[in-house]
Amino acid sequence: MRAFGGKGILITLWGVVDLYGRAKAMPDVSWLGYFTIFWVALALLVVVAAFLPEAKSRARLLYVLGLAGIAVFALEAFLFYHSVWSVNDAALAAGARRPPLKRYSLSLGAYVSFLYSLFLIGIGRMQLPGGRALLVRWRGVIVPAVSMLLAMVAGAVVVWILKETHLPQGSGALAYYAAKLDQVTYTFQLLFGPLLTASGWFQSLLIATPLIFTGLAVAFGFQAGLFNIGAPGQLTIGAIFAMLAGVHLANAHWFAGLPPGLARAIFLPIGVIAAAAGGALWGAIPGWLKARFGAHEVINTIMMNYIAASIFLFMIASNEYTFFGKWTLHMPFKFPGYEGRSYEVAESARIPLLINTLGFHQDSSGAWTGAFSWAIPLALAFLVAGYIFFRKMELGKRLLAALAAALLGYFIGGFLPGIPMHVSPKLASVRLNGAFIIAIFAVAFYNYYMWRTRDGYELRAVGLAPKAAEYGGISIAKKTILAMAISGALAGLAATHYVLGGGIDEYRLKQSLPTNVGFDGIAVALLGQNTPIGVFLSALLFGVLSTGGLQLDLQLGISRELVMMLQALIVLFIAAGGFLPRYFTDPILAAQAEEGVQGVL
Amino acid sequence: MTFATLLSAAFLVPLLQTTLRSTTVLLFTALGGMFSERSGVVNIALEGMIIFGALTAAVSAQLLEAPYVAQNPNAHVWWIPWVAVLLAMVVGAVVGWIHAVVSIKYKADQIISGTAINLLAAGLPSLVLRYLYNNTTSSKEITNRLPEWLGFSPLVYLAFALVPITWYVMFKTPWGLRLRSVGEHPEAADTMGINVFRTRYAAVIISGMLAGMAGAYLSIGILNQFVRNMSAGQGFIALAALIFGKWHPLGVLGATLLFGFAKALAIQLGGGDIMPPTIIEAFPFIITMLVLAGFVGTSRPPKAIGKPYEK
Repeated sequence: MRAFGGKGILITLWGVVDLYGRAKAMPDVSWLGYFTIFWVALALLVVVAAFLPEAKSRARLLYVLGLAGIAVFALEAFLFYHSVWSVNDAALAAGARRPPLKRYSLSLGAYVSFLYSLFLIGIGRMQLPGGRALLVRWRGVIVPAVSMLLAMVAGAVVVWILKETHLPQGSGALAYYAAKLDQVTYTFQLLFGPLLTASGWFQSLLIATPLIFTGLAVAFGFQAGLFNIGAPGQLTIGAIFAMLAGVHLANAHWFAGLPPGLARAIFLPIGVIAAAAGGALWGAIPGWLKARFGAHEVINTIMMNYIAASIFLFMIASNEYTFFGKWTLHMPFKFPGYEGRSYEVAESARIPLLINTLGFHQDSSGAWTGAFSWAIPLALAFLVAGYIFFRKMELGKRLLAALAAALLGYFIGGFLPGIPMHVSPKLASVRLNGAFIIAIFAVAFYNYYMWRTRDGYELRAVGLAPKAAEYGGISIAKKTILAMAISGALAGLAATHYVLGGGIDEYRLKQSLPTNVGFDGIAVALLGQNTPIGVFLSALLFGVLSTGGLQLDLQLGISRELVMMLQALIVLFIAAGGFLPRYFTDPILAAQAEEGVQGVL
Repeated sequence: MTFATLLSAAFLVPLLQTTLRSTTVLLFTALGGMFSERSGVVNIALEGMIIFGALTAAVSAQLLEAPYVAQNPNAHVWWIPWVAVLLAMVVGAVVGWIHAVVSIKYKADQIISGTAINLLAAGLPSLVLRYLYNNTTSSKEITNRLPEWLGFSPLVYLAFALVPITWYVMFKTPWGLRLRSVGEHPEAADTMGINVFRTRYAAVIISGMLAGMAGAYLSIGILNQFVRNMSAGQGFIALAALIFGKWHPLGVLGATLLFGFAKALAIQLGGGDIMPPTIIEAFPFIITMLVLAGFVGTSRPPKAIGKPYEK
């Protein structure tokens, strides 16, 4: 039902619009009229509900209406797909080579009615006592969600303005607006489209992996009251360090005799640690400058980004430099050739692809075969289960017990018979690698360090009330340097994905290193409200949006910068508290609202 | 190239000219930032405002000249670049207004709000360029750029003329006194009947206008098109110059001259074999950091800077 290119038809409330008059087949949507009547009736009943005198009955009626709306939405979706499929099946049965209705989906109207029903249930809850307090208690979710919605509306406006619609002459205003609205809907459908396929999920996780690291880095800074905009630079230096360890240390001739297994056990961790160390160094410098001289970390981290970019280019763009026309410097880092890239990371320092870790491998013909191995999933499941199960224990022992459980899970999973599965080439081409597992551990570390250790407690104290923390005997200078170093290390770890994990197609440091994910980390941290699970989920969300953005570029020619713009708007709107009333953003007012203090609201 | 050539007129004269040109961008931006920060609003969005200004100037000049160029490829219409500069200022003002609404009305963290605008400036131009020119990195080259008077764009003279003007406005007019009082002690200013919010709005919008003008100078004064990321951190350097210059027009002039010189040196040495260009490019940023570390302790920011005012 698409309005661009070739033929398309749109189903509106007023009937089917045949935009080009050339559609071969029309789905049977005679049922649509009944639903229109239903939604109008629903809206009327809501108006009636607003006038009910008793809060309880108001709430009850709204609940019923909302649930009915959702049910009807489901029925509508079912009928829609059913009618499209029946047309297609009929055509295929009649011997058509391709289904006449190739791309089809629900339109904006259906989504709006679904959201409206959800909204009704929410309003229903608001009618009961404590409704507002409940909303305020959930402000950690509501503020980002509202900001996200606002950003999407703004994005829709931009698409509406910037993307022209091709319609034949004399289509009329109805067709024009329907087509425009449909285009906007389709844009967002594409953006969220990756959620529907396995390879979409893999690709989204791939893009999310570095975002988790940089998001954690920024969130870590925020918790300590620091704004680390230096993630791009820290990532760059981390990547350089990882490259040095992975290429030049692991390939050094005096390690040549090591057996491959041992070499892997040595160099893989060294590579990961080197990435973290590089980032930590680049983060600690602005931290020290702030602690020692009071220079604001925001400007310094930005300057360090540019300097890191210079160093990066210096190392990778050429191997020979002349100084003052006389002295020549020779360096061994750049791989010969036109493109700016390093040598390949040694086999022993590479992080395996996740698809290999899951038990699949490529045979000689290039096809992917194998059985799904339970080792890694079970290990992760046992880790979490162990951590929860041993909650009575002291923290150190609890962690050890959880780790032991993970090992157990790994071995049990290794011996369990795997599930033979077919891996599509599309899925196999996604270079999601073990860095994702490291990212999950980083999330766990962030949670553990910030909320379960004394150091983390002190860091948060410094962030919330520096003066009070100082009187409590905490050295702000030390904490500032430490926080910036750990934040930088987290950002540097993102390099494991790019260099050691081959996230940019090759196991090298390449000039196309996307340092911008460092800035994206700001949006991730803010959208995730600096909580571990929030950072993980919002990184995943941005991963999905970016993956969808690729499709957007291919299908509609709307550049991927739309996703960047959405991120920027989300940051702006969250900064403004989602334009919600003050009692959502001000902690004191929020506490009073939760308690239901009168006179505040 | 040897040391001797570094002291020759053939090297020094262009170096001086480039210094003045690169100072101009920083000077406009930093003087604008001074209004905002003196009123108590941190303006890290200067970078984004420059980019928006540059984009507006290049695109509007191109669109305005299109009908003339269609008739004569070398058509020179004198008013086009000036209108483009004006429009760049208007867009800068709008961006400033957004920053003001979010950070004054909604009391957001001003640094985060500014960062959001910078992120927006990194994404939105490409969308516009794709829409207009089917290209995400640069706009179409224009023929009607700003004129040059005695070798320099008029905006260069204007930037240097703005130093005494801002000094006068800031320290010799009642409005300047009010602006400074709002940044130092908004409660006291409010008690005296000064509208804190309105003063801050005006200050941030002025800073947006000046940064927009700096952007216009970049795109249609120095170059003749918009290039992606063309501001390359100059908004942040201007902010550092503001701190180094102790939030005073004369100090800002000195600081921007220093940073402008560092940038000019990088540009002039870039082509030679004195040092690899990748290293030279980092110079202005390293100098900025050193200066910040060395001087930040001795300069005192406006007292209420970064704090939203609660009535």
